[in-house]
Amino acid sequence: MEEMLRMEHISKRFGSFYANKDVNLTVNRGEVLTILGENGAGKSTLMNILIGLYQPTEGKIFFKGKEERIDSPSQAVKLGIGMVHQHFMLVEAMTVFENIILGDKRSKGVFIDREARRREILELSERYGLDVELDKLITEIAVGAQQRVEILKALYHGAELLILDEPSAALTDIEAEGLFAIMHKLVDEGKSIIFISHKMREVLHISDRITILRAGEVVTTVKCSETDGQKLANLMIGRELSSSQYEKKQAGGQPVLKLDGVRYHEQSKHNGLAGITMEVRPGEIVGIAGVDGNGQTQLAQVITGVIAPEKGTLSLKGKQVSVFDPSDFIENNVSHVPEDRNLQGLVGDMSISDNLVLKATGSGRFSKGRGLLLRPKAIRSHALELAGEYDIRCTSVDQDVRSLSGGNQQKVILARELESGPELLVAVHPTRGLDIGATRFVHDQMIEARDKGVGILLISADFDEILEMSDRILVIFEGQIMGEYSGQNPPIQEISLAMTGK
Amino acid sequence: MNLSAISSIILATVRMCVPVLLIALAELYSERAGMVNIGLEGLAAIGALAGFMLTYTTGSTWVGILAGAAAGILVNMIYAFATVSLCANHTVYGMAINLLAPALASFIYRVAFGNGSSLMQVELMRGIGIPGLKDIPFLGPLLFDQTPMVYLTFALVIFTSVFFNRSKAGLNYKSVGEHPKAAATLGINVTGTKYLSCVICGALAGIGGAYLTTCYSTTYTEGIVSGRGFIALAAVIFGRWTGGGVLLACLFFGLCDALQIRLQVSSLGVPYQFFQMIPYVATVVVLAIAGSKKAGPKANGKPYRKEER
Amino acid sequence: MEKLKRSLTGFLVPVLSILLAFVIGAIIMACLGANPFAAMAALFQGAFGTVASVGTTLNRASPLIFTALCACFAYKCGVFNLGGEGQFLIGATAAFCAVHLSGAKGIGGILLALLVGIAAGGLWGMIPGILKITRGLNEMIISIMLNYVATLFMGVIYTSWIRDANTPQTPSVDDTLKLSRVIPGMRFTWALIIALGVGLLLYYFLYWTSPGFKLRAVGLNMTASRFNGFPVNRYILMSFLISGAIAGLGGASDLLGTQFRLINGYGSGYGFDGVAMALIGQLHPIATIIVAIFFAALRVGATSMQVATGVPTSVSDIIQALVIVFSVAGMALTKLPEFEAFRLRVSGKKEKEGK
Repeated sequence: MEEMLRMEHISKRFGSFYANKDVNLTVNRGEVLTILGENGAGKSTLMNILIGLYQPTEGKIFFKGKEERIDSPSQAVKLGIGMVHQHFMLVEAMTVFENIILGDKRSKGVFIDREARRREILELSERYGLDVELDKLITEIAVGAQQRVEILKALYHGAELLILDEPSAALTDIEAEGLFAIMHKLVDEGKSIIFISHKMREVLHISDRITILRAGEVVTTVKCSETDGQKLANLMIGRELSSSQYEKKQAGGQPVLKLDGVRYHEQSKHNGLAGITMEVRPGEIVGIAGVDGNGQTQLAQVITGVIAPEKGTLSLKGKQVSVFDPSDFIENNVSHVPEDRNLQGLVGDMSISDNLVLKATGSGRFSKGRGLLLRPKAIRSHALELAGEYDIRCTSVDQDVRSLSGGNQQKVILARELESGPELLVAVHPTRGLDIGATRFVHDQMIEARDKGVGILLISADFDEILEMSDRILVIFEGQIMGEYSGQNPPIQEISLAMTGK
Repeated sequence: MNLSAISSIILATVRMCVPVLLIALAELYSERAGMVNIGLEGLAAIGALAGFMLTYTTGSTWVGILAGAAAGILVNMIYAFATVSLCANHTVYGMAINLLAPALASFIYRVAFGNGSSLMQVELMRGIGIPGLKDIPFLGPLLFDQTPMVYLTFALVIFTSVFFNRSKAGLNYKSVGEHPKAAATLGINVTGTKYLSCVICGALAGIGGAYLTTCYSTTYTEGIVSGRGFIALAAVIFGRWTGGGVLLACLFFGLCDALQIRLQVSSLGVPYQFFQMIPYVATVVVLAIAGSKKAGPKANGKPYRKEER
Repeated sequence: MEKLKRSLTGFLVPVLSILLAFVIGAIIMACLGANPFAAMAALFQGAFGTVASVGTTLNRASPLIFTALCACFAYKCGVFNLGGEGQFLIGATAAFCAVHLSGAKGIGGILLALLVGIAAGGLWGMIPGILKITRGLNEMIISIMLNYVATLFMGVIYTSWIRDANTPQTPSVDDTLKLSRVIPGMRFTWALIIALGVGLLLYYFLYWTSPGFKLRAVGLNMTASRFNGFPVNRYILMSFLISGAIAGLGGASDLLGTQFRLINGYGSGYGFDGVAMALIGQLHPIATIIVAIFFAALRVGATSMQVATGVPTSVSDIIQALVIVFSVAGMALTKLPEFEAFRLRVSGKKEKEGK
């Protein structure tokens, strides 16, 4: 079989940290090679090296048998390497057409020859079954369509090796099926694909070979036909996963949170709520399952008072809320682990200890005279205490939170939100981007809080997390609740179908 | 108001509009590449001085214009280096330019011409009538009997519109201001484009300043730019980051300026300063009406780091 | 340790910037044919050489401290108030009109002037704040436009409405209203004491109170502040109000302390200078005051320098501008990951050598 790409002894160092160490891999023409690894295993760094965004510290890259130095993205494009990033690289203010021809170096002339370019694009789109509407703005098309634009863009720029970085993360099952069909077609036409994913089912379904990456190094490469999910998972994690089924509970009592027919920007399928009715009782975890971008963000923001619903009512502890302002919700003991920890949860340029008391500086514990004179000693000892309790790894609590790793930043937020004595905790993607250790820690803390009687609303796009944590599961799709399921032996098939809107 | 009054107001509007338009176009090119530069006032000041000095020494207004461009570029390279390469805050650094450039200008002026009270004067650029067109009654002298700088500036507006809307290079350029990382993955040189934008911005803002001392006022005085750099910033917002929009915004500000002068000389018994306030107040009012929430290039003012983890 | 390291870079960058700016200043002087050492000596002699010159320097610093603190406070809340000059002038103008029209005299008149100055500056400062919150407008442009309006309005007063006979200036304020000197023989007045008091008050507010803490959080991350229940818009408005009030108080006290009348060119450049000083002082009120005094010294000294060596005073403006150019670039540099890696390498080497 003809070899398309070979990477030899690739290492990439950031400061003293090796993101990749002595990585070897090959990709043949007409095959799908999967790179499997946990978050932080070095997959993205390796791909960024391949597309010329990063320079390897050591190592060689051979493309079609010739040694190449990929020192810029344009070099990668010229060679025929294209990538579809997990976070799409699309310019929202431009049309689909403009995005595809952006950076075009093949056609001659100063001006854009719209007719000729359109013909070329449509030809490609028909050949690979990539339906797109060329004149729509990126903001006007769905996530699945945006992905097709990305693939089409790479093909238009002459890609023979296509890198797909977690392409199905944001797709519904149906859309994912479409994607796999496209991938088959590409491979049949002699293109090669590097597929990055950690969804075992997909990987086994689509790959020819699988290279497993752990802590920046290649563990092994296996043929897809000679392995199974359990083996892969063990290789990926490097130790046996002690399956940690938390005990599921059934809670009674007066609900801490009750939503009745809540609507917000209803016409927007991906960013709106179309009549949500639900409740959370003390001492239970309610999981909201669903593919990203079905109103989860808005749901969390309504429940924490960041935005106000247009219709419907929200009650906290049986009392209907009339003013939607985060401070009122905080006073009612609603805690929030927000979706974007850097943007919404933390003040990056303030210290760990300051972030831990962010909302509490006015309290008697941290200041005299209702905030008229802060007590730095109390703030600092509070921080030291929590840093120990929540295992926040830092050189000093005076360090800026910005300099912490994602997992430790999340622990800072969790510590702050749980220490304020919540009755309701809204946690949105609480373990996104965290490694297994930190994820486990966050989960343990949430379970502990539940057992103390906190009502928890867990919003996550990670289905496994929902299954593991939730006492009750609600499925959200296009701003509506599609069904409610018990967390005890949940019907997985049925739920995943509900997530696609059926 | 009679016809001649109207025509003189139009004439003044065009004359007043051009320097602001040049400076606003400078900012348009800058912001389209994601570079918010509030140092325009300073760039124009140094351009005005360079334009004046070279016109004074060589006697050629064209040399003056080129000198203005060169001075603007030179000073703006400091901004470019600090913001692009060192990722300094755009606004803060623009302020630094606003402090440095006028100080430099006034220092150079004093060293070159001393503190003498005698005002140095230059001969202004002469208007060139376009044969045939300038003889059109009423409109002819207004639109086709101006200095070449006026024609060039308006031609630049057309060029700008075509560049951003029709050309491949313009599309690539815009993508740098919208989503630099996406641009980089397509092989567009983001850092290079940002530097280029600063060269263009420095040149145009410098020319805008030089226009003041080669086509507008025969002398150089400190504070000759008098807020045009800031009004230009407003014009870019008001013009919604397009060539045509910026032109309209600048014509509006030019009209305010023309009216202001007209009203001043008409002496209605109102202190003349109230009329002088018109352009500034108009800027505030216009912006307040237009609003500026969530507009403009998406990555405007954000630093771009290549190997960011 | 961590705190120390941070304040060390925070301290080193401006100091190095000042040194570098002076080196370039010296080169310029040399190019002009002056002996840079003699010129520098004359500069420092002029600023700090005698008790009287120290007094002059401090007096010159007083209005600058006000506008610098004005910029500093707004920036701490994340808004760029470039309108310090306009707020300063409106404060001075309103204070003048108040005492002139009411005829108030003595201590009552002084208090009236100061209070009116605070109110006028604060209200003037609120305009960009209100427009920012309600219309999403860029506060920089608005506050700068208002500077021009304020300057022109002051012009209306001294050329038309309250004109002193033939010269385009107002009459002087009543002698009983003039702020007295604190120490006989030194020119600075109680205006300086007010300025220092305001600085200390800001320091206390920003670093030792809960609202100050929240205001800083709003300045660093508005979204997170909103999610954490802080009334962000109220803080933004408050920061405009207070920073405007500080500048307005500055205008009023400078009027009573040094200027006594409204006149063409008064206050020109104070606003931007204040911004520069706040930035060099890294938005710390106390550091900002020190920087303001330093720049006042530079200006006072520049005059002696010109007399002694013929180097024009505007060299000092260039030095000041260079300090800001260098210090802002320097701060950005120290935040780059490459710099951090370099620092680690250097300190790593040292550790190894130590072993």
